[in-house]
Amino acid sequence: MRQPRPGSGPEEGRDQGLEGLLACVARGDHAAFETVYDDLSAPVFGLIRKVLRDPAQSEEVAQEVLLEVWRTASRFDAGKGGAMPWVMTIAHRRAVDRVRSETSAVQREQKVAPDPVSGPDDVADAVEANLESQRVRRCLDGLTEAQRESVKLAYYGGYTYPQVAKLLGVALGTVKTRIRDGLIRMRDCMEVSW
Amino acid sequence: MRLQRHDLHTLTGSYALDALQGGELAEFERHLNHCSSCTSEVRGLRATAARLALATAERPPATMRGRVLTMAERTRQLPPLTDERPARRGTSRQARRARRVWIPRFSMAVAALSVAAAVVFGIAQNSARDQLNTIRSQLASAEAHNHELSAVLAASDAHLVSSATSRGGTVTAVVSPGQGKLVVVTSGLPALPASKVYQLWLLGPSVTQPAGLLSGPQNGRTDPVVAAGLVAGYKLGITVEPAGGTLKPTTAPIVDMPLPA
Repeated sequence: MRQPRPGSGPEEGRDQGLEGLLACVARGDHAAFETVYDDLSAPVFGLIRKVLRDPAQSEEVAQEVLLEVWRTASRFDAGKGGAMPWVMTIAHRRAVDRVRSETSAVQREQKVAPDPVSGPDDVADAVEANLESQRVRRCLDGLTEAQRESVKLAYYGGYTYPQVAKLLGVALGTVKTRIRDGLIRMRDCMEVSW
Repeated sequence: MRLQRHDLHTLTGSYALDALQGGELAEFERHLNHCSSCTSEVRGLRATAARLALATAERPPATMRGRVLTMAERTRQLPPLTDERPARRGTSRQARRARRVWIPRFSMAVAALSVAAAVVFGIAQNSARDQLNTIRSQLASAEAHNHELSAVLAASDAHLVSSATSRGGTVTAVVSPGQGKLVVVTSGLPALPASKVYQLWLLGPSVTQPAGLLSGPQNGRTDPVVAAGLVAGYKLGITVEPAGGTLKPTTAPIVDMPLPA
């Protein structure tokens, strides 16, 4: 193992990327966790806020997610996928869990302007102006309108695919296919490695 | 209705976006165990979804940093999984490993309800039979749309604790200290006006964490809520707050229940 020992400082961990940092975190390295927090809190909070809208609820869920990263870092297996997808999966699941519990469904209706489909401008508002987000937007633009709408409703909207089908007034099978085809096109456009 | 294999494979995208629920989710996860091409595709699509997430990055309030770092200092970490446990039959090693990485919370989902029932019936001997049945049915209805719940209820270290509140009614929690989570249900809490809500708190020696909101009582019961971030020594508190909840309690707790460590 060529991971730094606990206490060897975040900089060394940073050189190894998020995967190396998580290995340090799994061993109880608080400095590494601070670096992970600094790297991940904005994407985690941003995604959750995108789904939940309500800032206070989003903050609460984001805290839970980041604490879960601390608690479960030992369960991350770099051989089975990247660290960023691992964390973002936790974040997205927590957000949709919250959306799908009746409690917050009611609140969401009460507190949130009805705008399930977020357009590119909406994304842009919250985005840090960087190459990554430009690339995501360019690749999103490469999808068909139908694919883009389905992917966004499912991921950013936190809707199940039957809910997406209902919102769009199309058959279940159509939505399944659009989501999968759209994501595959995104994957190829962004040359995602996994 | 059982889905055809082909149909199942086209669910990779929806699964990667957490857009599956209930029986279909369980069925797809069983399928994943035997379908290495699906597992690989899901991995790629999850990585793609993560890139979509990065495009929404937004800096959280600065105060969150200190809270999370403090909570981490008080939170015990899970040990790594090892191969010490006996393998389950009929599940390939590769598939099991893939599940561990991507779906740790689902591993026990199918069995969770019967285990939850056993936990409730086994431990809460003081409670009336009809109340237990109600808790069980509450849990059953919630399980369909909240897989996180299942993992807590199925935890081998799950404890059940219960307490009366100062406003009447009881609060009951299934607690998994190992997971740092608890599931909270209540019965007999007085109804509140629409402008108010019951809010859960984890009360530590020096920190108070918001832990979710209760739904408005229906037939005297509230829906199960999963709270995370539990640390040894914390108590469960409930306060009445303005609708939507607050970041800090603004009224005196109606219950202050020690939780098992």
